[in-house]
Amino acid sequence: MLKKRFSKFRTISLLFVTIFTLALAGCTSDNTSSNAGSDSGSSSGDDVTEITFWHGATDIGLTALETMVKAFEEKNPHIKVNMVYTESSEGADQKLLTAVAGGNPPDVALFDRFKIGSWAAQDSLTDLTDMAETDGITKDLYYGYAWEEANYEGRLYGLPYSTDSRLLYYNKDHFEAAGLDPENPPKTIQELEVAAEKLTKKNGNRFEQIGLIPWYGQGWLYGWGWSFGGDFFDEESGLVTADDPKIVEALQWMTDFGKKYNVEDIAGFESSAGTAAMDPFILGQISMKVDGNWTISAIEKYKPDLNYGVTPIPTPTGTDFTTWSGGIGIVIPKGAKNVEAAWEFVKYFGTQEGQEVYFAELPGDLSVIPEVNENLGRGDNPILKQFIDILPNSNSRPVIPEGQLLWNELVTATENSTRENGTPQENLEKATETVNKALEKYK
Amino acid sequence: MAELSKATNTRPVNEVRKKKSFIKSNIHGWLFASPWIIGFLAFFAFPLIASIYFSFTTYSILKPGDFVGVQNYKELMQDDLFWKSIYNTIYFTIFYVPLSIIFGVALAMMLNMKVKGMAIYRTIFFLPTLVPHVALAVLWMWLLNPGFGLINGMLEIIGIQGPNWLGSETWSKPSLVLMSLWGIGQAVIIYLAGLGDIPNELYEAAEVDGANWWQKTRNVTIPLLTPVIFFNLVMGAIGAFQQFTLPYTMTQGQGTPANSLTFYVMYLYDNAFKYFQMGYASAMAWILFIIIMSLTAVIFITSNRWVHYQGK
Repeated sequence: MLKKRFSKFRTISLLFVTIFTLALAGCTSDNTSSNAGSDSGSSSGDDVTEITFWHGATDIGLTALETMVKAFEEKNPHIKVNMVYTESSEGADQKLLTAVAGGNPPDVALFDRFKIGSWAAQDSLTDLTDMAETDGITKDLYYGYAWEEANYEGRLYGLPYSTDSRLLYYNKDHFEAAGLDPENPPKTIQELEVAAEKLTKKNGNRFEQIGLIPWYGQGWLYGWGWSFGGDFFDEESGLVTADDPKIVEALQWMTDFGKKYNVEDIAGFESSAGTAAMDPFILGQISMKVDGNWTISAIEKYKPDLNYGVTPIPTPTGTDFTTWSGGIGIVIPKGAKNVEAAWEFVKYFGTQEGQEVYFAELPGDLSVIPEVNENLGRGDNPILKQFIDILPNSNSRPVIPEGQLLWNELVTATENSTRENGTPQENLEKATETVNKALEKYK
Repeated sequence: MAELSKATNTRPVNEVRKKKSFIKSNIHGWLFASPWIIGFLAFFAFPLIASIYFSFTTYSILKPGDFVGVQNYKELMQDDLFWKSIYNTIYFTIFYVPLSIIFGVALAMMLNMKVKGMAIYRTIFFLPTLVPHVALAVLWMWLLNPGFGLINGMLEIIGIQGPNWLGSETWSKPSLVLMSLWGIGQAVIIYLAGLGDIPNELYEAAEVDGANWWQKTRNVTIPLLTPVIFFNLVMGAIGAFQQFTLPYTMTQGQGTPANSLTFYVMYLYDNAFKYFQMGYASAMAWILFIIIMSLTAVIFITSNRWVHYQGK
């Protein structure tokens, strides 16, 4: 009797052990099976290596990507690209984060260049410097800022491909109605203020038409700060300089602007603003705004007959126009299994040949390679041309491990200053201090 | 003598047998519960305990980091945004929890009346809880739109110029309280169950004594509803402290305007996944745990003063 019971106990414990081993095996089987997958892949198709490629493209972006991948595969028959969609948002970053932390990342991924600094500092991107050197890929190929944004502490962590820039959009009909010359948009900050005042029609605390909201659309402090001649980062000391007097001046100007038109009323206008076809610039509710080149296609789509022009963001002097640019790069996450094949793909997409195939499908988008934009005739569109013309003088946000923190701190400083919680000087000093303190731990 | 020894002998044998059969019957129970137990240990207990350790390190998910002792906790004490997020969270809790109780009880009492089609009314008030938070955020952003939102439109009809709800530092948190109150249906269901538990005799007795509606409510309904209110108070406070989805989706994670909608868990999330400060975020999580724990303890301690259970 006892013995029988004991044996029962044994079978049960055996069952437990089996379940556990199976569970454990389940955890590891991923590795082995994927290895087996690539092994069998390489043996079956005359040494074909399969690389996994994470992207967040849909619609025409996806078509362009697929065309480019097909062209790449034709040129490199020994590499097969397995495209995997991961939605393009913060969620995608989190997926990549867990994949890298779990040691099972994709071979190649599209990646916001803005985040290269912080991810490289976490040692989670593959260093491409040597491979790029061997294959003769240098900074001369790209716009300066784009190359800078792909490098962290002198090492290359990705190749840039897409870019954008920001200019001042203005409604020509509004200009005419207000007695301004539509062919001669404001160049200096002072002219901008005058134009904004003439263009604003306010009724009580409601705006029937507002000339300008400095921070609307893409009017971040980054853009105004650079346009005022400020610098956000000191290369030599490796410290953030958001309290640069020129940036303080820019924020002071934004604050004064907000005060003049009452910031709460402006906020009311902003939160009433619609998007897409209901965009206030398209509806003619706002006469001037800073925005990116992607707005051109939105206007073409929703109101093709809108009479508008673009001009560089005004500066205090009316010279030295600048802007800032972001964009996407292509990276090899740390721990990728087929780095060599992945590099072949990164190289193709990161250089002229692949980009020409890709951007041919996306007429509104800009490449980081000047020749590509030229060869594809991007300059034929007079409005898009202005966005391209300013690219050589564009800036990229500082490549630091705390890029996101700096961004959030600048947004907070802007909001607090315009709402008069502290002066621009105080708020920017605080932002600078916070970010520099966070940077200490990377030294 | 022989019988006696037999008797004394059988007892331990019986006990052993009992013990054995106890193990035997339990083994099957454990076996059936094992998927849950393994899941609980691997996905709850382990991360929970690990996060205590992480809170003393500079762990960043991608890098193990160094052990820094209480550095994270020290830094938190000097972090302005941390205090701001605590202020926002407490502000929200203080307004939301009592209001949700007042409205919840009032609504439950109304939905407890014997009126035709009550099932329909009850369904209507429960429906909003089925709306996902993200959809709720989008819906309310339209309702609260200062220019052509429904709420300001109605205020205008009665001659009030509505505020700029979500764009104003003063009104953003009250707006959020308003939005959250919309999804009160779950609590109302519990209050309704509580109301159903109150025996009719008590009302009859009160009527015999000549009590009016207010006296019945004050002396019968509310006291006997206190156990349910107590439950909803604890759950509501915990939920309010963990407010995340609604403000996060509404402000795209920025807590705009001017961080007036940056709640505790939002800042925690930013630290963990945007700033690569999982250690710091773990420290925040434990502070939140201590806050919620002590708040719950306070509610529990005071409860025997104001919670009346039936039959006591």
